[in-house]
Amino acid sequence: MTRLATQTAPDEAASKAVTLVDCDIHPVMLPAETSRRLSARWRRHLERYGRRSPHITDTYPRPRNQGMRADAWPEGGVPGSDLALLQHQLLDEHDIDFGILLALHGSDGYDPPELMAELNRAVNDWLVEAWLDRDDRLRASLCVPHDQPALAVAEIERRASDGRFVQVLFPASAQEPLGARKYWPIYEAAAAHGLPVAIHTGGYYAHRGTGWPSFYLEEHAGYGTIMQLALTSLVCEGALAAIPDLKLVLTEGGAAWAAALRWRLDEAWSLLHDETPLLERPPSEYISEQVWFDTQPIEEPDDPAHFMDIIQQADLTDRLMFATDYPHWDFDSPTQTLPRGVPKELREKIFAGTACDLYGLPRTRDAG
Amino acid sequence: MPAELPREVVDCDVHCAPGSMDALLPRLGDYWRDYVEDSTARLPPSGAYPPGARTSGAEPVPQDQAELAAALERTAPRRALLSCLTLDGVHRNPHYAAAMARGLNDWMREELLDRDERLRGSIAVSTLDIVTAVEEVEPLGDDPRFAQVLLPVRSDVPYGNRLYHPLYEAAARHGLRIALHAWGRPGAAPTTTGLTTTYLEDYASNSHIAQFQLLSLVTEGVFGKDPDLGVVFAECGFAWLPALLWRFDKDWKGVWREVPWVKERPSEYVRRHVRLTTEPAHLPRVREQVAQVVEAVGPEMLLYASDHPHDHGDSGGALLRELGTADVEAILRGNAMAFYGQSVS
Repeated sequence: MTRLATQTAPDEAASKAVTLVDCDIHPVMLPAETSRRLSARWRRHLERYGRRSPHITDTYPRPRNQGMRADAWPEGGVPGSDLALLQHQLLDEHDIDFGILLALHGSDGYDPPELMAELNRAVNDWLVEAWLDRDDRLRASLCVPHDQPALAVAEIERRASDGRFVQVLFPASAQEPLGARKYWPIYEAAAAHGLPVAIHTGGYYAHRGTGWPSFYLEEHAGYGTIMQLALTSLVCEGALAAIPDLKLVLTEGGAAWAAALRWRLDEAWSLLHDETPLLERPPSEYISEQVWFDTQPIEEPDDPAHFMDIIQQADLTDRLMFATDYPHWDFDSPTQTLPRGVPKELREKIFAGTACDLYGLPRTRDAG
Repeated sequence: MPAELPREVVDCDVHCAPGSMDALLPRLGDYWRDYVEDSTARLPPSGAYPPGARTSGAEPVPQDQAELAAALERTAPRRALLSCLTLDGVHRNPHYAAAMARGLNDWMREELLDRDERLRGSIAVSTLDIVTAVEEVEPLGDDPRFAQVLLPVRSDVPYGNRLYHPLYEAAARHGLRIALHAWGRPGAAPTTTGLTTTYLEDYASNSHIAQFQLLSLVTEGVFGKDPDLGVVFAECGFAWLPALLWRFDKDWKGVWREVPWVKERPSEYVRRHVRLTTEPAHLPRVREQVAQVVEAVGPEMLLYASDHPHDHGDSGGALLRELGTADVEAILRGNAMAFYGQSVS
């Protein structure tokens, strides 16, 4: 089944061109909202045992303001929990045409499978009721119990007909490396419905070949490297090659590292391709065709010319999409995200065009 | 392998390994000789892993001075820094690992350094017990033919951690550099949660692990404590460095309060204290972009390495072909002489 954006021919007078799409907004579901959507069995379970998932924020506390923008706290709530404040501070303030929600509540995988299924279903229901139905600028990422592939596929099937869910959400670290065949049914289901899989920084990071970091700074700066691990696994295990319709959106992991990653995978493959017959072509070709990147947190070279070097070297001209990461502390403003010297045509692609193409968003919207 | 190799270089990564336990047994005490014989403990095979992959190279790892001399004929290096990774495959009894480190270092000194004045050694230490690692460095550090302390880039605990600091202090006291070399103990997989099913992924991922180690070293303040400390990443690539530093500097600006001992931008410490070897080079297939990459990395950061006998393809050759004379000269000799100082001059 192919999903098409539901749009009608725009009325010239009442419509405006789409110039800004924010690909990474984090809404937060308050515990009461979760609780009332769960069955009595799992509500009782949560009351008695809580979530088993270890949270990375407990291991590496954000030094200030719980990692949130200081001005993002609504009256009596937490950042990201209040539609009106989000509309005011983000959508209206920056004149954002479309914003894509990524709710991170479902993304840990160490709870009972049926609880994970119910929890993700609850988050998706809440996304519809509390956000999508109330502001037509918003789109959402489908939350799935990713470490229970059969249940995850069922959730994709249940929601795929709602075109406002524009991608399936996956954490950058799961119980197994992301390229493992265990996860392929999820990737296949997403691809079959024309939904990209958004891999967002997060999940549960264990040893990573060096042991555990000690500080939030190295943990956070390492998120880009963890995204490299995730993409390397997806390439080397053959997931991209075997599922050619699979599209990945790497979110909150940066992008500039992609150039060097392409070179090292291509060189390694040129020497070792007889080991991995699934990879018939240099890895960078799969990456060029199947992988998109969100900007936030975009790497900031001292010399702005290096940014354009990276765009060319990593083949990112049609693959980079703007994101704010609202309401987190490292929010990137659209006025300051890109360095000087980025040509107008490329800016337009990064701020809207590439996302519109990937997600099938209309190029104009009602100006009202 | 490129047809013509540069000559008169300082080659910062040449592999060697004892052929078998027999090379070490005479250098071990009675207890460990009995232990080895009773348990039939063996050294890991001296040949590279995987046995027949192209990356392992066409020639075996040199096992003695004669084999090294034959290998070095093609480049006639001014100096060759030896990397012996034998300890990577030694099992996890910390006393055993320390004994094997001592045996290896004595073997390197007597069988290689004493017999060929071009050779420079790397001190092998057990990473399982830093107290014995320091004890190993103390006497050997007085021998100027040892240029560095060798650690596997894959670790149990990241190398910035405070538990390693006494080792770094000992190294700096003796003018030794720290070399973090690709690979490490089996099981230290380059993923957040599990092992890889391909060598391809494992091989490419030494560069990812090096990035985590660099973040750890700077964040935990290792370079702020000791101005004489130098760390070289060997066989881990280098093209990844600029993008990592762009993010690291940006993040530091946001959360420096957490680590007040990191007083400068992370990239400042890295440019002063860190170097990377050239092999494998991992460069763009569009060769015109090679100079861009080296400009962003900084040509002063790179130390030439043949990585004999491993074969990483032609990128290292392309690196030298695409750069100007001054950069090539610095990479082949000057950078290493400035970084290692007396021990390679």
